[in-house]
Amino acid sequence: MRRISLSWLILFFFFSLSLFLALSIGPVKISLFALSPRDQTILLNLRLPRALSSFFVGGGLALSGAVFQGLFRNPLADSYLLGISSGASLGAAAALVLGFTSPLAMFTGVSFFSFLGSLLALSLVFYFGRRDGYFSVFRLLLSGLGVGLLFSSLVAVLMIMAEEELRALIFFFMGGFSSASWETTWMAITLVPVCVWIAFYYARELNVLLLGEETALSSGVNTRRIQAIYAILAAFLTSISVSVAGLIGFVGLIIPHMVRMVFGADHRILLPVTFLLGGTFLILCDTIAKVVLAPSELPVGVVTSLFGVPVFLYLLKKERGEYGL
Amino acid sequence: MDRNIVLQVHNVSFAYEKALVLKNISFSVGQGDFIALVGPNGSGKTTLLKIILGTLIPREGEIRLDGKPVLSYPPKERAKKMSYVSQQPSAGFPLTVQELVSLGRYPHEERFRQAAGDTQAIEEALRLTDSLPFRERKFTALSGGEKQKVLIARALAQTSYLLLLDEPTVHLDLYFQLQILNGLKTLCSEGRSTVVAVLHDLNLVSLFADEVLLLKSGEPVAFGKVAEVMNEGSMRDAFAVEVAVSRDSQSGAVYFLPRRPHR
Repeated sequence: MRRISLSWLILFFFFSLSLFLALSIGPVKISLFALSPRDQTILLNLRLPRALSSFFVGGGLALSGAVFQGLFRNPLADSYLLGISSGASLGAAAALVLGFTSPLAMFTGVSFFSFLGSLLALSLVFYFGRRDGYFSVFRLLLSGLGVGLLFSSLVAVLMIMAEEELRALIFFFMGGFSSASWETTWMAITLVPVCVWIAFYYARELNVLLLGEETALSSGVNTRRIQAIYAILAAFLTSISVSVAGLIGFVGLIIPHMVRMVFGADHRILLPVTFLLGGTFLILCDTIAKVVLAPSELPVGVVTSLFGVPVFLYLLKKERGEYGL
Repeated sequence: MDRNIVLQVHNVSFAYEKALVLKNISFSVGQGDFIALVGPNGSGKTTLLKIILGTLIPREGEIRLDGKPVLSYPPKERAKKMSYVSQQPSAGFPLTVQELVSLGRYPHEERFRQAAGDTQAIEEALRLTDSLPFRERKFTALSGGEKQKVLIARALAQTSYLLLLDEPTVHLDLYFQLQILNGLKTLCSEGRSTVVAVLHDLNLVSLFADEVLLLKSGEPVAFGKVAEVMNEGSMRDAFAVEVAVSRDSQSGAVYFLPRRPHR
């Protein structure tokens, strides 16, 4: 218990530190302790929305990864490997290239159609990932791979069709927060916390699902309902992140594993901590992306992948059948 | 003799798509009974357990739990009456033994709050399965036998009065086979539990089961007391094996010595 409390303290320390760095560092030097009117504008209109965007997107991505991994009892599941990100990308690209607009005023066309795309991908993965009424790990991952490839090919077709929008599309898919503003940030700030709460609310059911669908059913869990709630939630988080920041890989894969190593596998603790650490990680990555090649910016997706790929390969090598792979 | 019937399986048939795997199964289970489901591989034992559990829907017939159709209970209410240990141990991530066994309390819990009796039920389940020494270890790091004990402990922590067990002793050595089945038998004798278990070891069936349902190709060969149901003829018929059946002079229990496949 003491160890857990200490870990929480360390986590909040890193969150505060990363936020401080993100607000302090940028192409223009400002001091947070003596703000001129110009500095105030930079801080409030550029850096704060950018830091908050990266926090909620990172937290949301990490949370969606933890949910997918728990739901399918597989350490390698995340929105990328399951093809959900590709679905969201296809929806967003279609909205950008074909000019689709959202029927709901509160969402942009990109947000709305990226959610539809992620739901479409999720439905396909669910359909092909089941056998005899239950999910099969291999079927799920293979279905995700197939759906991801199919949707990525369709995105490529859209890119060829795109003329004026090509630059915007490429920029979008590289992932990043360089164009973050309050207009793009509000969605992440308002909707992601709701998702975090829902995820936390059903965490005990997700724990029971770790025992397998049949055992969870026999324990009184309405498995179909819980699977549907969590899958839609994770797809929603993915589409929010794609529409706010494009494609950012591996946050959903590595952060939940790091949290499990310290805090254990109980989702009542795992989910909120994963959210906080994922957000902190992406704030830091975005800050690195801003400064490492200044005045140019690296896409944040490149920075997360530079961290993520080695960890991913390490996990793959280390896995010794504990997760049924 | 009147006895409190907790489970009635009435004329149940089941098919996976077009393949009929269970035909006209009927039996009833009284409170405190220990019932063994016996039969060769593919005879429908696990399917029958899943139908009783309510995860498979029979094509014909009905399962009644405490006099009501099993599917009429809301999931949590059903789980308070009936728990299940599956054939293949599964826990996707490294929960500790204590955490995993505590999941058995799910049907009794209110959200964000422990239920009355949680701690006591978990402790007793760990004690009955001799899992206390490794309660802080990760489930994924345990041996096959230890995992099996923990999964049984989780089902016991559910404190339901009907336990459905699919090959509960499959990973256990001789000592723990006897220890686990003795513990379950004691719970049955005290009227605290009723057990329906798929068992492959005929001698364990003889030692612990009150009654046996012998299945072959999804059809009931016989249902009744061990000594009445399990004889050379029925074993040859169900398993296609020549089995010598003798009686232990001390306990009076029958025991089985397989001799050769029947041609």
